Amino acid sequence: MMEKTEMIGDKDISVERTGAEARKLNFKNELCGSCGICEKICPVDAIEVNPTGAMVRTEQESSKLEIDENKCVLCGMCSCICPYDALDLEIKGKTIKESDEYPHLLKSSEIDEDKCIYCKACETACPPGAITIARELPDRSKLVSGEIEIDKETCIKCGVCEEMCPAEAIELDYKFPTSDDPTIASNINIDKDKCVYCLVCKKACPVDAIKGVCRLCSYGDYDIKAEDAEIKGSSDINEEVCVNCGWCKDICPVEGIKVTKPFEGTVDINQESCQGCETCVMACPCNAISFPETEEMGGISEKIHIDEKYCIYCGACEKACPVDAIDVKRTKIHSTPVKSKSWEKAFESIKN
Amino acid sequence: MTIGLVIYPELCHGCGNCVVACPINSLRSPEVAGGKGPTEDVDMVMMVDDGVIDLKNPNHCGKCGTCVESCPVNAIRLEQVEETE
Repeated sequence: MMEKTEMIGDKDISVERTGAEARKLNFKNELCGSCGICEKICPVDAIEVNPTGAMVRTEQESSKLEIDENKCVLCGMCSCICPYDALDLEIKGKTIKESDEYPHLLKSSEIDEDKCIYCKACETACPPGAITIARELPDRSKLVSGEIEIDKETCIKCGVCEEMCPAEAIELDYKFPTSDDPTIASNINIDKDKCVYCLVCKKACPVDAIKGVCRLCSYGDYDIKAEDAEIKGSSDINEEVCVNCGWCKDICPVEGIKVTKPFEGTVDINQESCQGCETCVMACPCNAISFPETEEMGGISEKIHIDEKYCIYCGACEKACPVDAIDVKRTKIHSTPVKSKSWEKAFESIKN
Repeated sequence: MTIGLVIYPELCHGCGNCVVACPINSLRSPEVAGGKGPTEDVDMVMMVDDGVIDLKNPNHCGKCGTCVESCPVNAIRLEQVEETE
């Protein structure tokens, strides 16, 4: 007995067919880039992508796409071509993305741990927030060297040094002055773990009660061990969330990231038709589109600029543009071999 | 069901932000692109008529949401509507 059901949980969708070869198509709304490639490749027109602009600019209760469970034949084409991994077909509980029988897109982003200096530039730039850099900074007290002392007899407990200390290493124990002990603080202490021997306190002290010296300034950093200055860490790219846009690769100061994009192609903008509505800027999952600044005051620049360095030619911008000013052409699909003729034709159909 | 442009005239203040913001309108009319209302009914998606928003050619709407963002009183929205051919 065969049965097809569609379940919509939150905004995710799954279409399921039970029977000898159980198939289940899962759609994850959060990962979807609204590019419409699935809609294009679907051989039975079962997928309809909701208007991209409406989805990214306004609050909508519906999912980014609709799957007609009466039309869907669970063939898996959409799952194999989706550049955002938002669609996934499972056969007998196993995803076809791991099966050699089905073609899959060759796309990846990898951080070379040997090169990574944990600067976090990629983490900040990553459009979908797929990168996590965890770093452990060196112990600051091991990177400074010096001596500092307060002559408590001379000190008038004015608190100037405490207020000025950039490392918050000085602390006074304030109290109310009494006739018995007419001072405003009972003690003053310097935390040697926090002190960086900048000597601001020494210079600021109105009664010259602080003696100090920075050994690094006087003799150089000979007594600092190189291993104490080492920054340890780990980097991680969440493969599911990553869109392989190349931002991380481009921004990395040590050329430590390798990115393979799923498609090659071209993007053309009709600057005359463009009305600068910003829909494409908001729709682009790769942050590849921006409003350029003019080179000089009063100059005229392009209305929008697409940096193909970051573009994966998914076509979300073209789909979002209300005045058809953007033309995305895919010229090459990086995938593992497509074994069937009909699939080959389908893959060709998303080139244009 | 599909997502389409819906207006709420009872909320509209007639400011015309949406008319000017709409990229389809501004592409079709130089007056609108310049920040002015259209001089005559030149196939605008929406227009302010007698102080109140009116959908003229909703079928031309590109569903980009620019008007929705520009409306200060939430009187124009992209919502689920019955499909009309």
